[in-house]
Amino acid sequence: MIALLALTGCTPTVKIEPPDKPIVINLNVKIEHEIRIKIDKELDELLTNDELF
Amino acid sequence: MKTKLLVLAAGLLLSLNAFAISLHDAKSQGLVGEQTNGYLGIVKSSPDASALAKQVNAKRKSHYQKIAKKNGISVAEVSKMAAEKAMKATKKGQFIQSKSGKWIKK
Repeated sequence: MIALLALTGCTPTVKIEPPDKPIVINLNVKIEHEIRIKIDKELDELLTNDELF
Repeated sequence: MKTKLLVLAAGLLLSLNAFAISLHDAKSQGLVGEQTNGYLGIVKSSPDASALAKQVNAKRKSHYQKIAKKNGISVAEVSKMAAEKAMKATKKGQFIQSKSGKWIKK
C-alpha cells in the first residue's frame, strides 16, 4: 500500500497547454539586415562609377 | 529595353563631353565636395562647378531611387548610406561636409 502510494506520488504530471494566441515570430530584423547588405553592395558598385563619385 | 539601354549609354557618353570640367578634376581642385546627404555640394562657387554638381546629382538621384525602389526603403535612407560611403572614399585633400554643414578638407 505504501509502495503504491509512493509510486503514484512520484508520477510526474506534465501538462502542455496550447497557447490561445497564434505564435508570431518576427523576422523583420533579419530581413532588414539582408536589405542593408544588398544596398551596401549596390552602393559600392555606384562608387566605382567615375561619373557619379 | 535594349534601345533604352543604348540611349542611356549614348547619353552618358555625350554627357561626359558636355562638362567643361570633369568630376575628378573638380574634386581635386576643391570646387566640389561630398555632402552629408549623399549629393555633391559646391565648395567654391563657379558656373562650371554648379553645372557639374547639377548633372552629377541628377544621375546620383536616379540611381538612389532605383536602389530604394528595388529594396523597398526610402530614397533618403539610401542617400544617407551613400553619403557615408562617399565620404569614406574621399581622398585626402578633397572636401567633405561636416554635420554642421561646414566644408572640411580631408
